[in-house]
Amino acid sequence: MSAPFFELGYFGDGTGLLVALVIGVAFGWCLESAGLGSARKLAAQFYLTDLTVFKVMFSAVITAMLGVFWLGRLGVLDLSRVYVPETYLLPQLIGGLVFGAGFAIGGLCPGTSCVAAVTGRLDGVALVLGMWSGVLATGLGFPALQGFYESTPRGALTLPQALHLPYGVVVSLVVLAALGGFRAAEWLEARPRAALAANHSESRATSRSLAGGVQA
Amino acid sequence: MSTGRDNRMLRPLAVAALVLGILAPFGGSPYRARHGAIDVAALAHTVAREEDHVTALELAQWIKDRRPGLRVLDVRSAEEYAAFHIPQAEHMPLDSLTAIAFRADETLVLYSEGGTHAAQAWVFLRALGNRNVYFLRGGLYEWLEQVMNPTLADTSAGGRAAFAHAAVLSRYFGGVPRSDLHIRPSDDDAIRLPKRGDSTQSAVPLPKHPVADRLLQVRRRGC
Repeated sequence: MSAPFFELGYFGDGTGLLVALVIGVAFGWCLESAGLGSARKLAAQFYLTDLTVFKVMFSAVITAMLGVFWLGRLGVLDLSRVYVPETYLLPQLIGGLVFGAGFAIGGLCPGTSCVAAVTGRLDGVALVLGMWSGVLATGLGFPALQGFYESTPRGALTLPQALHLPYGVVVSLVVLAALGGFRAAEWLEARPRAALAANHSESRATSRSLAGGVQA
Repeated sequence: MSTGRDNRMLRPLAVAALVLGILAPFGGSPYRARHGAIDVAALAHTVAREEDHVTALELAQWIKDRRPGLRVLDVRSAEEYAAFHIPQAEHMPLDSLTAIAFRADETLVLYSEGGTHAAQAWVFLRALGNRNVYFLRGGLYEWLEQVMNPTLADTSAGGRAAFAHAAVLSRYFGGVPRSDLHIRPSDDDAIRLPKRGDSTQSAVPLPKHPVADRLLQVRRRGC
């Protein structure tokens, strides 16, 4: 028995949906545990004061990547059967910008907005409703959008293909980039606190000297 | 900020990720070894329904339309490929074909000179689980005949429309469509062809396309 189970016929549609639900709930629980249900925490990402989002998401990426690579290498996963979404360069670039703008304005992304909504945060509920409305509007307007949606196709690109590098080399580079990124994130997070502490001690010293001057 | 307990957990995880990442380039390909299994009944059904091959004009249309995921694979020798190949085709000799892990969403079209080797390659790839695989029915000869040098042979309305369509594709690939038949010109019967200039197609056969001659020079096996 090897994976992917649904693709190889071990799962039917019903079981596949049930498994997807369980994985989705587990993913949401992890996001909430990491504090990503809070828009304040996510907004702090853009001010470089709290890079939890970057660390959680990049950890998930390298965990999945290492799992897929080594499970494929050990013969447990048939990588050729794993679906790779197609790249449409321009529409996905525009979509990424719209997504980023929505993320910065709302303070939540699709996954974290669901988590926020489930935990009773009203901003999360508003974002989920907005997301559903957007999905519905896009679906209804798809015939008009289809030309743009399918423009600049690049096929199902993967990093090894795009970079013309062996799969294992790309895995190694991404892991090194992630670990370097985590170190840089910790440094960035520590910096404002150090500056804040320095400012705080400086102002206390100034107050003391001023108070001393007054007493004198 | 990470707590001390979190840090104790993070360090081994980071080390594990680093070790697995550094070992990855030496681990080989994550794609599994190729062991095929043939579902004879399914293959026979596919062949009977003629869903195993494409015509040269269908392939030309796919290439022209830039069909997403299309890969055209030339299974002939390197010399034959160098002498002439279908535009965008990749050289993929028969003996190396089965070592490649094609993605499930790719559409593969195989061709050889006559079609036999491509048909054999089609069986190999289907046995390895690839689903969207086709071979060019008549091989390069069909490509040269129908795409590079299409000829008007059927003067019925349908035949003329098909020729006009083939002529568009032919010119796209730098071919030379020919209307060899002597047809009495009239307003109704005039063959409407997309033209490079203002000249009508000559009833006199045009010279053969140079690639045909080049192909004949490398013709050895006829398959």
